[in-house]
Amino acid sequence: MSCRERVGTQRHMCRSALVALLVTASLTGCHQKAAAPPGEPMLAAVRGDQRAAGLTYAEAQGRLLFQQYCATCHGDEGKGDGQNASNLNPAPPDLTAPKAAPDAVYLRRVIAQGSAAVGRSPLSPPWGRSLRAQEIDDLVLYCRALARRKSK
Amino acid sequence: MRDPQIAPPRLHAAFAAIGVAFLAIFSWVFLREQGAEWRAAQQQFQALQATVKDPHQLAQSASVGGLRQFWLPDLDRIDRCTTCHLGIDDPAFIRAAQPFTTHPGTWLTTHPVERFGCTICHDGQGDATTYRDAAHHPVAFIERPMRPVETIEANCGRCHRSIDAPDAPALSDGRRLIRDSGCMSCHEIPGFEGLTFNGPRLDSFGYKVRPEWLGAWLAKPKDYLPHSKMGNFRLSAQEIDGLRPFLLSQRAQAPVDRTGIDWKKADPAAGRALFGELRCVSCHSVNGRGGDMGPELTRIGDKVGREWLFGFLKNPHREQPDTPMLEYRLSDTQLRDLTTFLLDEYRTSGGGPDQPPSSYQDPQAVAAGRATFIRRGCPSCHQLKDVPDHGRIGPSLAGVADRDPEQLQYGPTPVRHTTDNYVFLKILEPEALGQPSLMPTFDFQPEDAAKITLALASLRTSDLPASFVQRRPPVAPYRTAGAFGAWAGRYRCLSCHTIGGFGGTLSTVPLDRIGSQLQRNYLVDYLLHPGAVRVSVEARMPVFHMLPEEARTIADYASLVFLDDALDAYDARFTLADERRGQQLYAQLGCVGCHQIDTHGGYVGPDLSNSGTRLKPGWVAAWLKSPARYKPGTLQPDYGLSDADVRALTAYISSLGADGTGRPGGAR
Repeated sequence: MSCRERVGTQRHMCRSALVALLVTASLTGCHQKAAAPPGEPMLAAVRGDQRAAGLTYAEAQGRLLFQQYCATCHGDEGKGDGQNASNLNPAPPDLTAPKAAPDAVYLRRVIAQGSAAVGRSPLSPPWGRSLRAQEIDDLVLYCRALARRKSK
Repeated sequence: MRDPQIAPPRLHAAFAAIGVAFLAIFSWVFLREQGAEWRAAQQQFQALQATVKDPHQLAQSASVGGLRQFWLPDLDRIDRCTTCHLGIDDPAFIRAAQPFTTHPGTWLTTHPVERFGCTICHDGQGDATTYRDAAHHPVAFIERPMRPVETIEANCGRCHRSIDAPDAPALSDGRRLIRDSGCMSCHEIPGFEGLTFNGPRLDSFGYKVRPEWLGAWLAKPKDYLPHSKMGNFRLSAQEIDGLRPFLLSQRAQAPVDRTGIDWKKADPAAGRALFGELRCVSCHSVNGRGGDMGPELTRIGDKVGREWLFGFLKNPHREQPDTPMLEYRLSDTQLRDLTTFLLDEYRTSGGGPDQPPSSYQDPQAVAAGRATFIRRGCPSCHQLKDVPDHGRIGPSLAGVADRDPEQLQYGPTPVRHTTDNYVFLKILEPEALGQPSLMPTFDFQPEDAAKITLALASLRTSDLPASFVQRRPPVAPYRTAGAFGAWAGRYRCLSCHTIGGFGGTLSTVPLDRIGSQLQRNYLVDYLLHPGAVRVSVEARMPVFHMLPEEARTIADYASLVFLDDALDAYDARFTLADERRGQQLYAQLGCVGCHQIDTHGGYVGPDLSNSGTRLKPGWVAAWLKSPARYKPGTLQPDYGLSDADVRALTAYISSLGADGTGRPGGAR
């Protein structure tokens, strides 16, 4: 936003300066933490389900991708209970088990190159050519969040 | 006598005082500038740099001294954020705390900071040099503080104007909600030009519904249909008393002739079987399960009369030329059984008269109803022959995000005054903000209302340069003609499938190249007896009860017109060695995880048991080579196969089931 607009804003705001001061002063101090600040209904609603799941923005993006690409086998919550899980041998692992939370490099490799690339069964296919780096990063973050939530 | 050239002593003192004052001010400004926040930040960063980088890298790093800024004349902004956010494009600082941490994700690769700056996405005051003035959080007198990351997708929408915006799922959801709720019927919304939202035509409405149902529906649509697309208009009893006779007096066309139907002989059990066989639930839900293209049928018996339903099922297009509902080929006996089943099974009340009482013909009430119909904007969604379209009755939403937040009303609950909060509260409950409103209440869930708000928050008055705006061109309607066109119209292929991007998306199979994908004989067979190719998919192709000659016409047309020459050019003369290697690859890649052959395997992808008689080899090969090219977002992984591997797999898949066994070897 340019200086011009800011000056215009100031001029206008003088009229209702007192009201604005009271409102903003009471709100600015308590912004930014976990729950949406009071008096921010839109923000509270948009954060609602992310916050309920204890996820950051990037992890929530990862969850959407997980539901699209992974959940049929790994299950909506990553417990290894997707609708196709019973057809798989070996069965998909429970991603919420803390021991299944390896480092990001390993996860990125499994997701991008498939489970065969880390010496396991070929049933989890490579997504490196279907998903962009950004999407794989988000998925990695979500997978780590799955394990983190369980271990809490 | 005093020399007039010499100033009086009082003036001396004044000059001295002014001089001292200037000195003090200059010193203060100098010291303040020396002690500026950003200088301290830069010193901290230099110390941090020494710990995260080895000396060699450090020598190569640019000096961090001084203010840094990006001047973006195209966007009319100067962003100085990198004065403090010094590690923003350097992955070495990924674990550093703010303000030095690396920007997450690959956003800066796709949106180079030299071209986009920072505030185009984040908002805030880019030219400020202190934390407070930059408005990282809401600050008095600053209208556009930085957006919290959860709502940042609103700004994606300023450039990405198509409904599906990449990497912005909440924004895309919001835009789909706007489209599917028909907001653009009453409001001009940039980006939604040309999109229409049609409720049913009402020309023959008087024959359709039970009078007692209509009153309840108008008063509270969600009581009857929990997922009703029509909002609650908060009509007064008086308005309903007018609307009801007006709507029931619409009798342009009586239902089709049904003389000779013996309702006493109706067999609801046969109707129930038909209901399942026709796959009505692909589009209609009952008791909470099923599709949402058509209205829920759980209480259809409370709503419509028997004669009307029979006529509608017989030929839905006569009354509703634009309905996505197809016209099944059913006998009058089948229609009678189906109608009876639907009305008996899905009702909660004992039923009442099908026809309105004569008091509904009061011309005064009808005239009042007509006035209400027009005043509340009903013609925007419901066409009626003798009521002209009165245009959009809601205000234009162009530039809505730039409305002055202090000029808006926020209702009784204290909230921070932002257009986001205003729009959000307005969408949730239009009259809760203290002003009467013609807008209906849609009973959106708060998260849906927030997503719609996000989508509207990208509508600013200042237009970005055209070089920044990304928008897919609108799809041209696909018109079918000839014998094929007649059948495609009757069976409503384009309600679920697309051609040239035009049509419905219930099916994931576009028809553009279907003739190069599927074998002609399979297509005929499938149209006559649609089965489940994919076990896990709930929405299934309806069983049309199509005549064999119709199926042949459609299949022949598809095999001649809906082609992709590149696929048909594939050399399908496979060797036995190809086939064997393909079988090995099939096991090696783990295809069995998702595909079944002879009831063995997963059910994410299609069953491959009969691929040899179903699929054309050129299509199999092209699909294996680059699935996302044909279906973005597909679950078919791209293994990056070599041409030889693709050929081997294609040979194997094309050999399956040609002899009906699902085992290789049948194709030859």
